[in-house]
Amino acid sequence: MIPFILRRLTTLVPMLLAVTLLVFILMSLAPGDFLTPVKAQRDINPALIAELQKSFGLDRPWYQQYALWLGNVLHLDFGYSWTYKVPVAQLIAQRAPATILLSITSLLLAWTLAIPLAVLAAARPGGWIDRLTSATAYFALAIPEFFLALLAVWMAARTGWFPIGGLTSLDHDFLSPAAQFLDIAHHLILPTLVLGLGGVAGTLRVLRANVLDVLQAEYITAARAKGLSEKVVLFRHVLRNALNPLLSTIGYAFAGLLSGSLLVENVMNYPGLGRLVYEAFIREDQFVVLGSVVVACSLLIVGNLLSDLALAWSDPRVRYGR
Amino acid sequence: MAADLLRSLLRRPAGMISACLLLLLYGAAILAPFLSPTIPSAQDLSRTYHPPTALVWQNGHLSVRLYRLVDPSTATYEPLPDQAAPLRWFSHGPAYKFFWLIPSTRHLFTVSSPATIYLLGSDATGRDVFTRLLYGAGISLSIGLIGVALTSFLGLTIGGLAGYLGGWPDTLAMRLTEFLMAVPGLYLLLALRAALSSRFPSDATFLLIVVILSALGWAGTARVVRGLVLSLRERPFILAANVIGQRPWTILFRHLLPNTFSYLIVAATLSVPGYILGEAALSFLGLGIQEPSSSWGLMLGQAQDIKIFMLNFWWLLTPGLAIILTVIAFNLLGDALRDAVDPRFRLPGK
Amino acid sequence: MAQPVFPIALCALLLLSACSPPPKISRQTHPLPAGVDIARSEIGRSGGVFIDSSPGEPSTFNPLVSEDATSGGFIGLFLDSLVHNNAVTQEVEPGLAARWDIAPDNRTFTFHLRPGVLWSDGHPFSADDVVFTFQAIYDPRFPNRAAFDLSVDGQKFKVEKIDDLTVRLTTPQIYAPFLETVGGVGLLPKHELEPAFRDGTLLKSWNVSVAQKEPQRLLATGAFRLRSYQPAERIVFEANPHYWRADAKGVRLPYVDFLVTKLVKDANASTLAFATGQTDAEGLSPDNVAWIDRYASRYGFSVFNRGPSPNTGFIWFNQNPGHDTAGKPFVTPYKLAWFTDRRFRQAISHGIDRQGLVRGVLFGRGQPLWGPETPANKKWYNPNVTQYPYNPARSRALLAEAGFQIGPDQKLHDRQGNLVEFTLNSNQENQLRVNMATAFKENMRDLGITVNLSFLDFGTLVGKIQDSYDYEAGMLGLTGGGDPAGGISVFSSKGRLHQWYPNQKTPATPWEARIDQLMSDQLHTLDYPTRKKYFDEVQKIMSDETPYIYLVTANAYVGLKDRWKNIRIPPLGSLVWNLDELWTPLLTP
Repeated sequence: MIPFILRRLTTLVPMLLAVTLLVFILMSLAPGDFLTPVKAQRDINPALIAELQKSFGLDRPWYQQYALWLGNVLHLDFGYSWTYKVPVAQLIAQRAPATILLSITSLLLAWTLAIPLAVLAAARPGGWIDRLTSATAYFALAIPEFFLALLAVWMAARTGWFPIGGLTSLDHDFLSPAAQFLDIAHHLILPTLVLGLGGVAGTLRVLRANVLDVLQAEYITAARAKGLSEKVVLFRHVLRNALNPLLSTIGYAFAGLLSGSLLVENVMNYPGLGRLVYEAFIREDQFVVLGSVVVACSLLIVGNLLSDLALAWSDPRVRYGR
Repeated sequence: MAADLLRSLLRRPAGMISACLLLLLYGAAILAPFLSPTIPSAQDLSRTYHPPTALVWQNGHLSVRLYRLVDPSTATYEPLPDQAAPLRWFSHGPAYKFFWLIPSTRHLFTVSSPATIYLLGSDATGRDVFTRLLYGAGISLSIGLIGVALTSFLGLTIGGLAGYLGGWPDTLAMRLTEFLMAVPGLYLLLALRAALSSRFPSDATFLLIVVILSALGWAGTARVVRGLVLSLRERPFILAANVIGQRPWTILFRHLLPNTFSYLIVAATLSVPGYILGEAALSFLGLGIQEPSSSWGLMLGQAQDIKIFMLNFWWLLTPGLAIILTVIAFNLLGDALRDAVDPRFRLPGK
Repeated sequence: MAQPVFPIALCALLLLSACSPPPKISRQTHPLPAGVDIARSEIGRSGGVFIDSSPGEPSTFNPLVSEDATSGGFIGLFLDSLVHNNAVTQEVEPGLAARWDIAPDNRTFTFHLRPGVLWSDGHPFSADDVVFTFQAIYDPRFPNRAAFDLSVDGQKFKVEKIDDLTVRLTTPQIYAPFLETVGGVGLLPKHELEPAFRDGTLLKSWNVSVAQKEPQRLLATGAFRLRSYQPAERIVFEANPHYWRADAKGVRLPYVDFLVTKLVKDANASTLAFATGQTDAEGLSPDNVAWIDRYASRYGFSVFNRGPSPNTGFIWFNQNPGHDTAGKPFVTPYKLAWFTDRRFRQAISHGIDRQGLVRGVLFGRGQPLWGPETPANKKWYNPNVTQYPYNPARSRALLAEAGFQIGPDQKLHDRQGNLVEFTLNSNQENQLRVNMATAFKENMRDLGITVNLSFLDFGTLVGKIQDSYDYEAGMLGLTGGGDPAGGISVFSSKGRLHQWYPNQKTPATPWEARIDQLMSDQLHTLDYPTRKKYFDEVQKIMSDETPYIYLVTANAYVGLKDRWKNIRIPPLGSLVWNLDELWTPLLTP
């Protein structure tokens, strides 16, 4: 198993090199750079722009810039944000908790809703629960996330039941710890629903198929023959076996952590990494973009590795192959 | 084989309904210039943010109600009592070109000036939202088809070659697909769009988006096709073909690839929504289709504007609903196709 | 299966916690400084939280680094300057300098600082801080924007400390906007920043990280000091206990305890926050006023019309006669001939239905614009510029005079028979501008002119306009207002933003030469009527020659909760001019 993990992790390095190089080339091909909006201001001196260009290294050809960045990365220095003038690592660390929190809550939502529903649906295929859930799942998978996010914002604006955007209220600093916790929970409800809905539908469909598969197994027939109640058969025996493949979704959720919520975060005004990354792309804040690409790519590879490991652990038939 | 597939598809109600729905949507998109009462660029600055015009039955004609601008500062309109203009069927209106070729001025329905018909209201410069929705359908829907065609072609060729040839082409192709699948897609999309946009005129953005989406999307198809070809390669009929000395290309294109078609059709149908949603997301972010063209994603993006949000909510709903309907139809069709192609997927109890 | 109960319980608890009491704070009471400034406004009551929102994050809290208006606005809250540019009256008022003398040479300014003023940490503010600030600005190790603003033709100002409370600044030549420029310089605390100045890390100090972790290090002389900064969430300022202003009863200003700014992603989110009662003040665009009124009574706010905004919008044609390195002209020669023909530009101007734009796109809340300044700039606006009211007949006459004619295809052709067609470039981020461009296209079609629209990313657009010059027509806006000196890069033919033909070595036309002369003359006299006369002529020439075809200017609006008293809303700039005098009888929102 260890060689398997090591082998997978060694692919990370060339992959990161290739991806960052690609993104770097694309960014240098893009018209304008970080200083372009500054150039368009009417009372700024060209000499200052030249100075800034020099201090950002924007006066050099792109391959030199890339080599410089790469050299710094070897010393674990990911550069600093031109916008915020702070190290990129610091900036990402600052925004990451909000995004991780949202990922966890939406994954939890997906599981808590999908597991019981899938079992109930599969217990009687073609029954009304099955029809209703599968119709809803079709619908949920068809709604573009950003459209759902828009609807949520509109709903919040019209009813005032939920805060619009943010993770904390304005008076958060003055609240008691318990109230602070509730405040955050209140802010999380809508983004979690929006981001979790697709997860619910996806998990539901996979799990339902799994449960149906397991139901065909001989040991289930045996369990029924023993005279166990249907509830016990379903939730004790069937579910346990059907859940195994789902373990891998944790890894995938991890993999999609950074890009999964980008649109939703932007529409819903959520203070996470997605907003930071999108703004960095728009402003061409080079090192933030590269830093986030490194993080996203690593998460993707490590996340996929984790799901493979989880799968192998839960199902002995899967072996560590190539 | 195709006829069988179609027959077994149409026997399933879900497949039947979704196929009809898609026919209807694509039909509307193709006939958009004829079906819409005007052209998407026609403005009327004195009728901005017009509410949807009500249709009434008057003097034996289907008529459209007339409105008066009560307060320009808040775009408040009120219907004029008992005043309506009859719809004129198959009448002349603004000129357009059918299929970019045949000039015509005939529209399914128009109203005579100065009355206007805004089935879904008007936008910030008094353009008809219904017309823009129909024209937008053309872009949003065709992106799915073209994209899938490109992806399938790339996937089939690269995957088929890799699987059949083996050796270094296989290794190269698989490393490439692994790379593409490990790149965070959205980031690459953002970077690609930024890098390429200025190199193309605005009108070419449409093609650019298709190409970008396909360039990122073929990897999955290629891997599956390769797998299928690998397993087919050992089948007796291929071995037989080898034995009787058919040339490798003939074997690949005559025998191997056709056997992956049924998989491809299902996969293609199920991946069309991805392209439609991808275009919508890009346009929504302002990185896709641009004014004065229209697409569903662009219309949704413009609906983000807080004013439209609070004043004219139906604006927001229509393109969104159109996207949802299309995606559901494609997913249902894909599932029905899969059931038809591979009965093992059929669920017990059905 | 106990999970579903949890969210329900949560919601119930939330409803309870929603009514949290307002924060209680006790103001530290420090004696007022000897040089205290007594506010002439109505006497109010201390306390309360003022909430606004900002579409955009501050990128720094260091005035030497700040390049954007958002950061500049936050810095202005805690760093005070020698003098203030009163945005309401457009006059210069005393700030940290109680008064100043101008020597007869009109180049030497002596500032007398307020005695007894302390930084927010209790350290005295003195002439040393002023000298230190200029030293930091002029230091070549720290390239910054102010260094260029505070110099004339590359020559720095001379800064001398006379005594602890007196500073003398000398400009190398007469420099008209001297006081306004000095009014924009936030003075830095020497005792706090000198170490960073010495070891060369001054530009890294007071960054967003410091603001987040050690907000108390951002010393203040302004009405507020930073209390906390939560990126992408909010910035909280609190009353500066050492602020140097008080009301007539001797109560130290500011009245409000806290100034909370909600950080949101864009202007839409910001407006939405106000419309749903979350914030106290918001700048509103005309199209938003159209619907926001209906929430006014529900959340208790009113919308104030500030009058015309200082923002201009215009279309221009590329008149650059040059060619690229491959020898290809930037503009096709026969098109360049149209663009450099004044009659062609005037005809276009007459063909634009500005009233229609105002009515349709701006909901009637705006006015046509004919010159480079909008009426918002009361001090410098010239109302007597040439106007081009909507008149297609006049357009056609002008075009005919210039040799254009309508062909059998109902399209306009020039004398050589070339079809009159051009591509208008604009940026796609601004929906209002997109709407104007599509309306312009329709207007031009009536004249037989074909306009193709191209909406680009802002970066691409600026690249075309300023670097590659390969475009035919452009549409952009500039924020006007303020001193004419700020417009030099636009009006002077050498200017970088002289967009129709930038960076000219010698003026291409006599009228551009005249503008160059006027812009230079107005800079070198302190006499307002003379400067006004010069700048009026610049505006007149711009309207006569129409290198920029000005479109419309929207009115600006401010929404403000009714509970706030002592409001003074300036026609341009910040939403509320006198945040320190603002007070409310209702402490809870």
